[in-house]
Amino acid sequence: MGKFLTFLMSVAGCTVLCSVATGSESTDGHLNLLNLREGDDRPNIVLILADDLGFSDIAPYGSEINTPSLSALAEAGVSFTNYHTAANCAPARAMLLTGVDAHLAGVPNIPEMLAPEQRYDAHYQGVLGSNVVTVATLLEEAGYHTYMAGKWHLGSGPGLLPSQRGFERTVALADSGADNWEQRPYIPLYDKANWYADGEPYQLPGDFYSSRFLVDKTVDFIDSNLHDDAPFFAYLPFQAVHIPVQAPQEFIDSYRGIYDVGWNAVREKRRTQAIALGIIPADVGMVGMATTGDWHALDAERQRYEAKRMAVYAGMVEAMDHHIGRLMAFLKSRDQFENTLFIFTSDNGAEGAGPADPDNPIMQRQLSTLNYKSDYDTLGLKGSYNTISPSFASAAVSPLAYYKFYAGEGGMRVPLIVAGASLPRQGVLSDAFSFVTDITPTILSLAGVEPPQGRHGGKPVETVIGRDLSPVIRGDAERIYGEHDAVGYELAGNAALFRGDYKIVYNRGPLGDDRWRLFNIKTDPGETNDLSNDLPEQLQNMLAAYERYVVDNHVLPMPVGYDHIKQLAINMMRKQLTEPLLIAILTLLILLPFYVAYRMKPRQ
Amino acid sequence: MTTAIRLLVLLSGVLFLVTGLRWLVAPAGVAPDFGLVLGSGIGLSSQIGDMSAFFLTLALCILMGLTTRRSIWYYPAITLLSLTAIGRILAWLLHDAALAMNLIAPEVLVALLLFFATRYLPDRA
Repeated sequence: MGKFLTFLMSVAGCTVLCSVATGSESTDGHLNLLNLREGDDRPNIVLILADDLGFSDIAPYGSEINTPSLSALAEAGVSFTNYHTAANCAPARAMLLTGVDAHLAGVPNIPEMLAPEQRYDAHYQGVLGSNVVTVATLLEEAGYHTYMAGKWHLGSGPGLLPSQRGFERTVALADSGADNWEQRPYIPLYDKANWYADGEPYQLPGDFYSSRFLVDKTVDFIDSNLHDDAPFFAYLPFQAVHIPVQAPQEFIDSYRGIYDVGWNAVREKRRTQAIALGIIPADVGMVGMATTGDWHALDAERQRYEAKRMAVYAGMVEAMDHHIGRLMAFLKSRDQFENTLFIFTSDNGAEGAGPADPDNPIMQRQLSTLNYKSDYDTLGLKGSYNTISPSFASAAVSPLAYYKFYAGEGGMRVPLIVAGASLPRQGVLSDAFSFVTDITPTILSLAGVEPPQGRHGGKPVETVIGRDLSPVIRGDAERIYGEHDAVGYELAGNAALFRGDYKIVYNRGPLGDDRWRLFNIKTDPGETNDLSNDLPEQLQNMLAAYERYVVDNHVLPMPVGYDHIKQLAINMMRKQLTEPLLIAILTLLILLPFYVAYRMKPRQ
Repeated sequence: MTTAIRLLVLLSGVLFLVTGLRWLVAPAGVAPDFGLVLGSGIGLSSQIGDMSAFFLTLALCILMGLTTRRSIWYYPAITLLSLTAIGRILAWLLHDAALAMNLIAPEVLVALLLFFATRYLPDRA
């Protein structure tokens, strides 16, 4: 009945009648039946977020890793090859879910890496501010069921959990990461892995494996409300492939021997495949990262171990894909697949902070503190702690430069697939520039919901700065951002500004060189040819635009000598030592008067 | 002999004091030592309030006993420890709880130590 009504109204073009009947109209002129719950034909939306997944880590972007579910999604929609996100977790998630710059959303950096000098600023709390509205809140208000299963990392205090930010049903990890096999922390910063379900502390089941569990919960949530005909929005932020890199044995086994060729060969092979797929230009260059080691200088035993580290990583990616496939199969079995839109992306590029030498004493001491093993045979299984080295991280982002945390393309450019049986274009690539803040307005557009215009719920809120990608998805436009539209970015002093086909980028030490560089990222996504000397006027114009971005978004200067790894270590140490020191001081303060009284008593 | 007993009594008092403070300051770290999972709301309030009061009372009684040299201060601590050990054994017998020997043994030993202290440490006149 609802669909028939929609059809009749669309054909007749009864705009006035429709406005009366529905009370709203979307910006592109398509009708929204927001208040018609019966026969609601708005699309379901599944937003899948991988964690620390590199640009070429999935098959449709050139990977050797078997990801048939994601390949199927790529065949059923648009794959964006010039999509950018923040180079670190929480800022990316804040922008993804609000469409607002991370600084204004309260998450300019992950709280674990914030410098003490910055914490005095209200915008630098590392948790999602109350001045922004999540896409889930807006969809819930529009009649959508809203679900979340996975990593949140945007705060766990009062008013901060996803159950209080628009998600109707949730099971959420509040921390930056956690073990994939059991409820335990992965760094000493946390006493435990802080999971919550519907706003309450949650104990994970005994047979937990993260990707399987999160899809199971998503399926349960969706299934529980299918009877009432309202569409759903499901946010599925996987733990894969964040540290600790862990996977079931059967998935690891598929990659036995695959990485024996070493990281340079894998990086080159992925580049070749990405060119063949049309993901990157044919003549794209690659830089060699200073952190990339010499594979051939390693002895055979060490090569074997490094290959296993990467095989576990690949197994974890494939396991995630396998469980995405289960979700797709479930939706087909419930006759929901045709009306579901999928958005798949990653929060940032591949993690390059894993130790180059897994035997280094600091790493081994951390594993010992956390009671983890890292032996070859059980690598990636329950009780084992695994990472990939910076060298294989470079292969994971092939052919791009840098990786997670840095503002190079390897840290910021990741896959983005928007797919659905109902989309007009299937299996196409788009090299239109797009940014993580575009996801929320795109979802809202697909659902026929207006973003907040400066106010929401009777109070002022930040305005969405992202842009709707629907015209590119439909094929009505080649690009969303014009030649002169600037998109700024800053995270812990690493900075960039995109305008047209150009990007200026500033990477701090120790890996960066602390100077602005200019690249044409359409023809040179590998950032091999610095144009700052050839196009000085372009550089200056973009630097001026970046200065405006700094002012408009309250970007604070970094403290002198700030180093993100050192700051993380200091914050961890402070967290570890604060409680013992406090207890020791209190103990001494209590004992002191007893001691004084004891000394003052006359002895017998 | 009396110095050795005093030192052992002091050690037990300090350990109880630290345990009580840990319950107040960092309960998540100490709860697993007692086989407890921290609750929330009123449950968490009871866990922190009751457990910290138990250990701080033990500690303060022992320290008062050492400072004032009056053995009567040891009796509340002996009573608390003895009843706790008895309660654990009854929990095992009647309610299928685990027989927590790793907790019962120290409680009995410290209660005995304090009992010896009442006998062998001279009271101040």
